[in-house]
Amino acid sequence: MRYETVIGLEVHIELATESKIFCSCSAKFGGEQNDHVCPACCGMPGMLPIVNKHVVDLGMAAGMMLNCDINRVTTFDKKSYYYPDLPCSYQTTQWFAPVSVNGRVDIETSKGKKSIRIKQIHMEEDAGKLVHDDWTNTSLVDFNRTSVPLIEIVSQPDLSSAEEVIAYLERLRSLLRFAKVSECRMEQGSMRCDVNLSVRPEGSDVLGVRTEMKNMNSLSAIARAIEYETARHIDAIENGTEELVQETRRWDDTKGASFAMRNKETAGDYRYFPDPNVMPIVIDDEWFNTVKSNLPEFPEVKKARYIDELGLAEGDAEHLIQSRAFCDCFEGAYEVCGNAKEAANWLIFDCSKILNQKQQTVDQLNISGKALGELIKLVLDEKVSRANAKKILSAMFEEELDPAEYAKANGFIVSNDTGAMESVIAAVIAADPKSVNDYKNGKEKALMALFGKCMKELKGNCNPQVLREMLLKSIENA
Amino acid sequence: MKLYVSQSSAAAGCVAVDDMILTTDQPTAAGSKMLDGYMSLFGAEVVEKIKAAGYEVGGKVNVGEFSIDMLGETSFYGECADESGKLAGAVAEVVKADGVKACLTLDVNGMPRRAAAIAKTVFLKPTYGTVSRYGTIPVACSGETVGVMANTTANLRDVLEAVIGHDDKDGTSLSDEKCALLKRDSDFKAVKKIAVIKAMTDKVDGAVAADIDAFKAVAEKNGIEVCEIDGSELLAAKAAWNVLMSAELCNNVSRYDGVKYGYRTPNYTNIDELYTNSRTEAFGMLLKSAILYGSQSLLYTEKNRGAYDKSLRVRRVVYDYMAKLFEEYDALLMPVCSKAAYTKADTDSNVTLSFEENVYTAPASITGLPAVVVNGVQLVGKAFSDSALLAVAEICEKEGK
Amino acid sequence: MTKDSLQKLEKLYQLCLTEEEKEGVIAFFAKQDDEFAALENIDTANVERMVHVMPILTVVREDVEKKLFTREELQRNAPETMDGYWQVPRLVE
Repeated sequence: MRYETVIGLEVHIELATESKIFCSCSAKFGGEQNDHVCPACCGMPGMLPIVNKHVVDLGMAAGMMLNCDINRVTTFDKKSYYYPDLPCSYQTTQWFAPVSVNGRVDIETSKGKKSIRIKQIHMEEDAGKLVHDDWTNTSLVDFNRTSVPLIEIVSQPDLSSAEEVIAYLERLRSLLRFAKVSECRMEQGSMRCDVNLSVRPEGSDVLGVRTEMKNMNSLSAIARAIEYETARHIDAIENGTEELVQETRRWDDTKGASFAMRNKETAGDYRYFPDPNVMPIVIDDEWFNTVKSNLPEFPEVKKARYIDELGLAEGDAEHLIQSRAFCDCFEGAYEVCGNAKEAANWLIFDCSKILNQKQQTVDQLNISGKALGELIKLVLDEKVSRANAKKILSAMFEEELDPAEYAKANGFIVSNDTGAMESVIAAVIAADPKSVNDYKNGKEKALMALFGKCMKELKGNCNPQVLREMLLKSIENA
Repeated sequence: MKLYVSQSSAAAGCVAVDDMILTTDQPTAAGSKMLDGYMSLFGAEVVEKIKAAGYEVGGKVNVGEFSIDMLGETSFYGECADESGKLAGAVAEVVKADGVKACLTLDVNGMPRRAAAIAKTVFLKPTYGTVSRYGTIPVACSGETVGVMANTTANLRDVLEAVIGHDDKDGTSLSDEKCALLKRDSDFKAVKKIAVIKAMTDKVDGAVAADIDAFKAVAEKNGIEVCEIDGSELLAAKAAWNVLMSAELCNNVSRYDGVKYGYRTPNYTNIDELYTNSRTEAFGMLLKSAILYGSQSLLYTEKNRGAYDKSLRVRRVVYDYMAKLFEEYDALLMPVCSKAAYTKADTDSNVTLSFEENVYTAPASITGLPAVVVNGVQLVGKAFSDSALLAVAEICEKEGK
Repeated sequence: MTKDSLQKLEKLYQLCLTEEEKEGVIAFFAKQDDEFAALENIDTANVERMVHVMPILTVVREDVEKKLFTREELQRNAPETMDGYWQVPRLVE
């Protein structure tokens, strides 16, 4: 018999905010243990939750990017369970009226195009982290991540293979990074995935027994887990190797197998109820429209525009749309310098190289498009040499600066003072008669050595073409 | 008589706060072994406000565990009772006997109202949202309110003035504009017609009935019309409030588990034993009963939305019923409890007595409407009628008992 | 409410009652359930839930980070800590 796999995903995404969802502690990744903590997020009594507005902005933005309806009245609910990483023993989440519902994400795989329905997107708080200490045989609790804002994107069970799941996750990541909802970095846990999976005979409309694998945080592990779990289900159905039960399982990627987890709470056990301390949030037209007007173009719309209107090569356009920061910078630079190809090259080659050296991601690009455009204009106008422009670019990554002023202050302006060039050339020739002779005897390389020395003396601030011609003339006369 | 948890006596004219209100210079334990010695890092907004108004903050006044009991009898620090075993709420005794100007006390389940009725002090549970709950130990957040207990209405008004007002740190706090509504109508003539709830007065003992008759006489003498109505619709508030309070309590006290602060059992070998034994050893029987009842109430299934959901709907029915009564009457007169006195034996033989006696206090608790206790009776008014209710209390004071 | 179903609630909320206490709680449940049963006579089919008693809407704050206390202050009341962590018995992974 042939089987089909039915998969629904719950994807948790940490939102890119400064502060936590219900208190003002830092929401930044990292920090020393328990350094981003206050009485509220370590479970002490007496502080009351006040919702971070930006979390609602991002919850709506995510919903809009995924074609959802926005609930104009959205409320928070409490969910109870005991685990040491949950300091209040309840999590505040959205159960009755989540911010976004009924959306759609379009994906493309080797089998063609497909729409995945989104059931809902709700806002909630993250839990803390446990570290296990072998020496004392204890577990250590860090509440830095507690109450960091998350959205959970719940899909309908519309996915049927690892390939589709990965296409879906990549699409989510691209859209949400573009809308600046989150950096979606799986390796830092800012994008995590619960996989709900069941197997049924092909064509059947009855769902099989469903198992859930929690907190998957790499695409390749998710693919392996889906393959394994599908095989396990089919084996159980065909050969009766085990009885399938609805349960939560943990994927162990090193062992390449999934294992049942000990707590088997059902939705009823969580005992959701509306949070009496958080008032309903009403999203009026003004708020709705502000969020809507700040949404970016969809990446593929941008890409087409870059190719069709700005004349970029497809590869360059594709490269730029990997990051909203790159697109913003590119568009700003183009507006100033008017040369799309130049602007794209500076980003794809020079900026990427500097980010690499600084071990930063493309989303961390932090230079203004206007400044980059001005820098490119200086090069195109032959006011600054390319080599010196790269030095200015490096400085732009360290501080906000005006490229023209910086060039002036640091002696990077190309000089057309031929008198100065002549005296430098004369001095170089006088100091290195051997190279002059070598060149005259046919050694082309010797010219490059002399040229380099002149350029160095002039700090690169001359038109290379002019310098070369003047140098040749001087050698002939020497 | 165990009046204070952390300080033996008080300076005359100071404002005392109960053990549900966080302070930074004295421990706050909510009357529970679980929080014995707990020092908060921040003080309640009401504490900051009374300090700002120039009052000295007095001792931490003894309350029962998480203040859901009758009169403080479940306190880890011992009950407040006289030699005969008669219970007295410490929050009322400190203003009656210890010379403090007023006591701020969290009204979760009517305890301060019962204490005031028994000690014959005056108490106001203000309109929900007019006094910040920031820095109070959370129990039943949807209805609990910080109230003011005093010996005289004048003292009560002084301290009330200091604590009302908007607080950005409390999401349920009303705007200053709204809070100011509470100060108008300080003339008792704003209360023209009072309805006595017969379904409640029928059930009380002779002493409480006498208090009610005395109040009626004073009111009528001052030209206030007093009518009797059945009002048995209000009795539904109790069962619904018991569900809402227990469910919210169950959730709010889940955080006390022996991990972050508070009592940690010495008897554990793993995390489950740490949780279970810490909670089992530290919590009293009333609290445990409420936790379990609350957890059961929150249970829901696809078919049955459960007791909690039903209670939220009954809350609106009760609220709407009261709103309708307030179209005709300016205040509702209710007893505060069925007897004029309770002994330790009463609560020992019935640990959960406060879940029965709160039939009189639940209507104001579940709706957040203001309630004044004076001369042993309770007046419940519409939202922001606090000042008018206090004006009626003033004439009772003048007329004596 | 039976002792078995009560046991399940105890487990969920990390309590452990003696047999005698269980009986007391079951009696308490029975009393409360009787009272609650009377609410079934109130028709709430078309009544909205009332979570908040005051009609306040949309209380939000700006996304501004602010540090209130140090880790040392936060762990002042802690039963056991190690290297700035709260410490608990090891969880079986």
